[in-house]
Amino acid sequence: MNLKCVIVEDLQVAADYLTKCCEKSGQIEVLAHFPNVAEALVYLNQHSVDLLFLDVEMPGATGFELLDQLAYFPKVVLTTSKSEYAYDAFEYNVTDFLKKPFTYQRFQESLQKITTAPENNIAATASDHIFIKSEGKLVRLNNDDILYIESMGDYVKFVTGDKKYVTHNTIKNLEEKVNRISFIKVHRSYIINISKIDDIRENDLYIKGNEIPISKAHRNEVMKRLNII
Amino acid sequence: MNPITLSKQFIFNEKINSDYLFSLYADDYPYIEEVFGVTLQHYDEDVDAIQAAYGNGSVADLRRGVHKIKPAFGFVGLTDIQQSCAVFEDACNRAEETETLKSDYKQLLSLLEEGKLILDKEYRKLKDFNANPL
Repeated sequence: MNLKCVIVEDLQVAADYLTKCCEKSGQIEVLAHFPNVAEALVYLNQHSVDLLFLDVEMPGATGFELLDQLAYFPKVVLTTSKSEYAYDAFEYNVTDFLKKPFTYQRFQESLQKITTAPENNIAATASDHIFIKSEGKLVRLNNDDILYIESMGDYVKFVTGDKKYVTHNTIKNLEEKVNRISFIKVHRSYIINISKIDDIRENDLYIKGNEIPISKAHRNEVMKRLNII
Repeated sequence: MNPITLSKQFIFNEKINSDYLFSLYADDYPYIEEVFGVTLQHYDEDVDAIQAAYGNGSVADLRRGVHKIKPAFGFVGLTDIQQSCAVFEDACNRAEETETLKSDYKQLLSLLEEGKLILDKEYRKLKDFNANPL
């Protein structure tokens, strides 16, 4: 197996070490290294990679903001020196979390996870409905009935006009599975039904009286999808 | 990064956590030299960014600067300085203005300067060692 990877890391010594670990493994080919999100995004939107080693805090934008803007979903290993990001890492459905500096043995453990983790590239469904597990049964929700989906840690809440359903899942996972014509991610914690937006004021949008934040990273994409005359 | 033989022929400065260093690189001295060299290349730039942030009174930039340099100390075995950076980073998270960090900042800066001197000296020693290992 030869995984093609990109390293996004602003600390040169860490990037060099990671490159050396990849070379030593014989299983990962490092295509490029970028010290910031902006440069990485330009490359990643033109080249498909299998794996991303991603620092979190970098100049200009964070690793999470890069994930928010990526048009596809490679396997991701977060590399940071701060354990506090572990929770966010889980929310973003990343494969592993390497705390810098890490030993080669720890890197190998990560590689094991990478090679056994399921592929992230699930095609977006064009279906007009989804089924969710709620209260011990499978419930059919028509896309047109869903107002928005909100993250609640390890769970998500599907909000319809008259009901709320809580189910074990993540926004990151759902983002790949919901119909992308009907839905759009507007914030790391929210996916909304684009046809249900009542109005937008500065950094928030409103659906049936519910205020939903639009993150800076998603604002352009949201505005592009609106039918603004 | 070679198989661990832990011959430890090179004696590091006592402030460098050599056990930690060996856990990362085993006794791959040429690579340790490379790591020290790369860290030194970026050292001044990173410390300058920290000083500029403090000078500008930006706690957020100060925290970011220290956060960036922190793991570099781990990579070169200066784990005490790495820990001091972590403590300072936490202090930044609690501070609203750089003035309240003044004393901690001065201590940190002095540690950063000491770290550079140690690193510089060890780098040169390692270079000699690797050029003439016997």
